[in-house]
Amino acid sequence: MITAAINDDLFTREVTNDPYTYFGRLREEDPVHWNELYDLWVITRHDDLVWLTRHHELFSSEVLKRDPRPPYPQVDAADLGLYEYVRDFSSDQFIQHDRPEHLEMRKVIHGYFTPRSMEAWRPMVQSAITDLLDAAEEKGHMDVMADFATPLPVLVIAQMMGVPLADRPYIRELAKKLLAGGQGAPDRLRTQTEGMRGMLEYLSPLVAERIDNPGDDFVSVVASGEKRGIFTRHQVLVNCSLLLLAGHETTINLLCNGTLAFIRHPEQWALFKQDPAGWAKRATEECLRYDPPVKSIQRIAAQNVELRDKVLHKDDRLRWFISSANRDPEVFTHPETFDITRDPNPHVSFGSGVHHCLGATLARLEGQEAFKALAERFPSLHVETEELEYQPSMTFRSLKALPVAW
Amino acid sequence: MARKLRIRVDHNVCVGNAMCETFAPHVFQLNANRQSEAVNPEGDTEEKILEAAENCPVSAIFVEDTETGERLFP
Repeated sequence: MITAAINDDLFTREVTNDPYTYFGRLREEDPVHWNELYDLWVITRHDDLVWLTRHHELFSSEVLKRDPRPPYPQVDAADLGLYEYVRDFSSDQFIQHDRPEHLEMRKVIHGYFTPRSMEAWRPMVQSAITDLLDAAEEKGHMDVMADFATPLPVLVIAQMMGVPLADRPYIRELAKKLLAGGQGAPDRLRTQTEGMRGMLEYLSPLVAERIDNPGDDFVSVVASGEKRGIFTRHQVLVNCSLLLLAGHETTINLLCNGTLAFIRHPEQWALFKQDPAGWAKRATEECLRYDPPVKSIQRIAAQNVELRDKVLHKDDRLRWFISSANRDPEVFTHPETFDITRDPNPHVSFGSGVHHCLGATLARLEGQEAFKALAERFPSLHVETEELEYQPSMTFRSLKALPVAW
Repeated sequence: MARKLRIRVDHNVCVGNAMCETFAPHVFQLNANRQSEAVNPEGDTEEKILEAAENCPVSAIFVEDTETGERLFP
């Protein structure tokens, strides 16, 4: 069988550092692949991904609630009790719901993120970028991850949620603990539950205060869902936590991966620099396509479904890989080429269908402004190391650091 | 009398988020590809239609006054 040589371990250094070769091969050889090791269907073609995401009634988002199996890869046996806590916490996220509940929950927060209302944040994003790059300029070098890509979206989401700016480092610390959940270490449940408890503890007084004295901040918007009987208090807290985390981790990856793509493709960087404002939109879309912040998303089959020559059975787990779909030659000409002039660019980095990323417009805006500012201020940007390392995560494409100079 | 609207959904952009269907269910419906179609421009009030357009997460909906050609959204 042709797939016999495919190693199902998705946490090897090789797969982590270069997901494109591994998942690209699956897309060509076995696009609906049964991964024995993790009891998991791996879906890698663009058309399949679009079809799956638009048939939400066939593929449930209630992944944690519906999946009785222990977490994968294996965790320390002594920690399995903690998984119940993780399950209870995560199942209250609105993204872990199907319709009709998902729609009711999303409607509480959807209006906050419309393209028009997000546009009002652009000047604030621009000014935050100016401040961060001023500080970097004085030093003459920076770690794009620690000095730019992290503080920018954390600042933006903290402003939106109306949390004290001084709390940003603490929020980032909690977020890092939550992220351990996707990173495969056998003791990860301890770190992850610490992060979850910390978030609940941190957000509880804030939410209580906004229930009594609502403002125009985003915590007040989520809390309004409790008053209308759509969210429980636990759901308000968990969703605020989710949006704090999702509101920055993904953007960090967009800014780092995009900056690296520019540095690795000097001719595209040169083109971009000729007219940063003019190219910002298309270039950001290409950064999103070429090295997407989120690698894969999981679902669970709600019923038996035929896909190509396979049958996915009810309750089977499946994961679709954005990293391979975005380089599908059936959809993109020269898919391995980083080309900021690409148009149209139907990448699936924000997913599709009813679960299409809530924060897509904000992520785009932050990317456009960040890349534009880098091109205008640091035209001779280059990487200062040979060795780049990525976090061992199936979900996020996260560099550990990106030291640059100019 | 309510003015007549011309409504267009750009299928190169529409991701089938279906929020338009929620805000103006008699105007917008998902087709077989699960992309939105304006099936009946007179099915809901102008207010609901503009709310649907405003809530499209990818700005795929365009609305104009049929007679004057005035652009109402975006």
